[in-house]
Amino acid sequence: MSERAVASERDLVALRPEQATIPPGHPWNRIPLIAAVCALLGAAACAILGAANPKQFFFSWLVSFLFFLSLALGALFFVLIQYASQGGWGIVVRRIGETIFAMLPLMAALFLPLLLGLRDLYSWTVPGAAEHDALLRWKAPYLNVPFFLIRAALYFGIWSFIAILYYRGSRGQDVTGDPGVSARLRRIAGPAIIVLAVTQTLASIDWIMSLTPKWYSTIFGVYFFAGSFVGFIALLSVVAVAMRRARLLDTVISAEHLHDIGKFLFAFTAFWAYIAFSQFLLMWYANLPEETIWYKARLEGSWMYVTLFLAAGHFVAPFFYLMGRTVKRKGATLAAGGAWLLAMHFVDLYWQVMPTLHPEGLRPSALDVAALVAIGGCFVAAASWLLRRQALVPLRDPRLAESLAFENA
Amino acid sequence: MAQTEADLLDTPVAGRPTLILRSPDFHAITEVVAEAVERRTPIGWWLFFIPSLALLGLLGVAVSWLFWEGIGVWGLNVPVGWAWDITNFVFWVGIGHAGTLISAILFLFRQKWRTSINRSAEAMTIFAVMCAMTFPGIHVGRVWVAYWMFPIPNQMDMWPNFRSPLLWDVFAVSVYGTVSALFWYVGLIPDLAMMRDRAKTRTRKLAYGIFALGWRGSVRQWHHYETAYLILAALATPLVLSVHSIVSMDFAVSILPGWHTTVFPPYFVAGAIFSGFAMVLTLMVICRTAFRLEHIITLRHFDYMAKIMLVTGTMVGFAYATEFFTSWYSGNPYEIFTFLNRARGPYAWAYWTMITCNVISPQIFWFKKARTSIPILFVLSIVINIGMWFERFVIIVTSLHRDFLPSSWGYFTPTIWDISCLLGSFGLFFTMFCLFVRFLPMVATAEVKTVLPQADPHWQPGPEREIRDHRAARPAGGPEPAPEGAS
Repeated sequence: MSERAVASERDLVALRPEQATIPPGHPWNRIPLIAAVCALLGAAACAILGAANPKQFFFSWLVSFLFFLSLALGALFFVLIQYASQGGWGIVVRRIGETIFAMLPLMAALFLPLLLGLRDLYSWTVPGAAEHDALLRWKAPYLNVPFFLIRAALYFGIWSFIAILYYRGSRGQDVTGDPGVSARLRRIAGPAIIVLAVTQTLASIDWIMSLTPKWYSTIFGVYFFAGSFVGFIALLSVVAVAMRRARLLDTVISAEHLHDIGKFLFAFTAFWAYIAFSQFLLMWYANLPEETIWYKARLEGSWMYVTLFLAAGHFVAPFFYLMGRTVKRKGATLAAGGAWLLAMHFVDLYWQVMPTLHPEGLRPSALDVAALVAIGGCFVAAASWLLRRQALVPLRDPRLAESLAFENA
Repeated sequence: MAQTEADLLDTPVAGRPTLILRSPDFHAITEVVAEAVERRTPIGWWLFFIPSLALLGLLGVAVSWLFWEGIGVWGLNVPVGWAWDITNFVFWVGIGHAGTLISAILFLFRQKWRTSINRSAEAMTIFAVMCAMTFPGIHVGRVWVAYWMFPIPNQMDMWPNFRSPLLWDVFAVSVYGTVSALFWYVGLIPDLAMMRDRAKTRTRKLAYGIFALGWRGSVRQWHHYETAYLILAALATPLVLSVHSIVSMDFAVSILPGWHTTVFPPYFVAGAIFSGFAMVLTLMVICRTAFRLEHIITLRHFDYMAKIMLVTGTMVGFAYATEFFTSWYSGNPYEIFTFLNRARGPYAWAYWTMITCNVISPQIFWFKKARTSIPILFVLSIVINIGMWFERFVIIVTSLHRDFLPSSWGYFTPTIWDISCLLGSFGLFFTMFCLFVRFLPMVATAEVKTVLPQADPHWQPGPEREIRDHRAARPAGGPEPAPEGAS
């Protein structure tokens, strides 16, 4: 690199706002409208199809709800960890994460339809379920509807609070340029991570584990976390590459940043497999009926193929695909890997939830698609609407210059 | 926004701090590190070495007596068939993990502060693995058939059970020991060559020269070296997770309440890193003073290590809470009993020691004052290691001592030989570590030099340098400036 190039790179301390916004007339300005139309169509399909088969609707809705919720929670964790560890490289993609976790209040609204179907989803909520079941009676102090609702309200309250705090702080810094904002947000990142870990673990117990109310696993919260983090990083890689393609941030997000996102994707795909396999191995080995019941449902009939597909598609294939350096540094190849893992994250959640409804085997439904389009439409519409109204990078973060000039050694 | 000197010093988020204080030049780093090895053996070294050697002797006596008399010399008996032997094994394997995390994972995460401590942390890993390997070897009872642990073809056509995690342990720990030793040795080569080139006697020149493998420091050699180092780091990274996960499966694959729980693998890994960092801290507090390395191993390094201990300690606490909650949530009376028995039973003292040392005490590291206070760090590093030893003791012994049948309940009490083996393993560890600091450069000089400001290709003497000097300068004998950042 020539002396001059080095000098100009080092002088690049701030971006001009027009370098980091969606310009008027850009095709991305139309995304909110398109997504909103999709959401409406999806919602209409849900209403029509769901009226005939409410049980299927609630399960389909739960899977898609969990999918987008986990992406938002993964984004929140990613940004919190960037603050806590004073990371430098990722500042240029932090706003993408911030926009995604800003959807957490929206997810609270999208949770509400599930409340109409608690009895369809969670067998322990059926009145009288515990009457003749000593185990459910024992669990009743935790697994009861009022406490379930209070907890859900608490989770969403806490997540929205953290999300808004960090979103506002970061947006505010765009205007004021006050480095103290970063310092303040960094100081509370540690406690926020602890609160997030506890609430996310309990939420995974409430919303997924209690589908099989007698089953339990201490690693389950970690499993949910691992999946959501992989999901978010996969989404981040897709969005970052899409932005570069759309000539947004193409001078800002470089191959170096894609490389680092790819490394995260690779590492956490392996981490997900480690956690998933730990749970499976220990339950398979001990072979206790109260634990294997969960895997029995997933290793029988056509669910067995889904299980094998999950192992191959969520770990083996992406592990080898993402190992090389070139794949991670090229937009097209990285985004392909990211899109694949995003789909596999959906399969993972589908595989966790759906065998409760269809123990007899895999039964894909049009409602699965309708719910995905409805929730996804809302999510994308709101997120892209936010993107239009804000800078696409934290313009005046004190570490922005470092992030812009970042190079892998 | 122009950054002023005050901004750089006071804003925790702006700029990256200088890691090495007093602005040494490259040669000064070489001098201070090599001097520790080249100077006459100081009295202080003997003060550490002789007691360590004595404890190592104690290990020899204890193990000899064990072989002569049998496992009965220890306090374990039905129902507690595993006690301090496996506690010590897990404890020592865990200690090793910090070294691998520092040298592999922190390397991949570009945490440059690792350069000051990675050499000695890796040495610590190897010695800890040596201590750990002792215990499975001696606890088998018939030590002359200990080789049956290995899948060696034999005329009896008898194979170890490949589905047993005890066999996985053999693979996991021996791979871990091998890779750690290789990683450490590859890192040592440039410094061994440095010691060879500085050697004043033929013996030294020959001894260091053989192990330096003809290193000349050419660009081509460095190129290969850095590639090899990156590959070894990538290979060692899964080992940080896999070794202790497999160790945890020694317990978790069973159906014993208190042992069989799915969170064990990641939870053991977090605990291992927690205890390992505590041990690194104990050693570094002593070494940096003894070898006048305060400007290389600074309070900032301790600050970072304390943060890692806070994170991993809190993870461990979270895992305790998850286990406790899930035991209730399971509704399984044996699960519930095991956990209540831990907190309220005859071993409650051990349980609460564990909670106090591992969960409560590291919370003080939320405060920067504690993270940068040498006395607090030193005391806590020892407290944490006591706590982590007790964690393994609690898991192993409290889960065993009250069997499903109350008629088979028992209480484990250690004998003098249990205690001798534990103390003796510390003797082995510290003897090795004393020899290490006496004969090998305990800081990776080439790596430390790369984090000096003048190693940056864009560095030039100028106003920026003054700011850095200002940060580094301190009056002779005055207190070390506390690293800025984090409250």
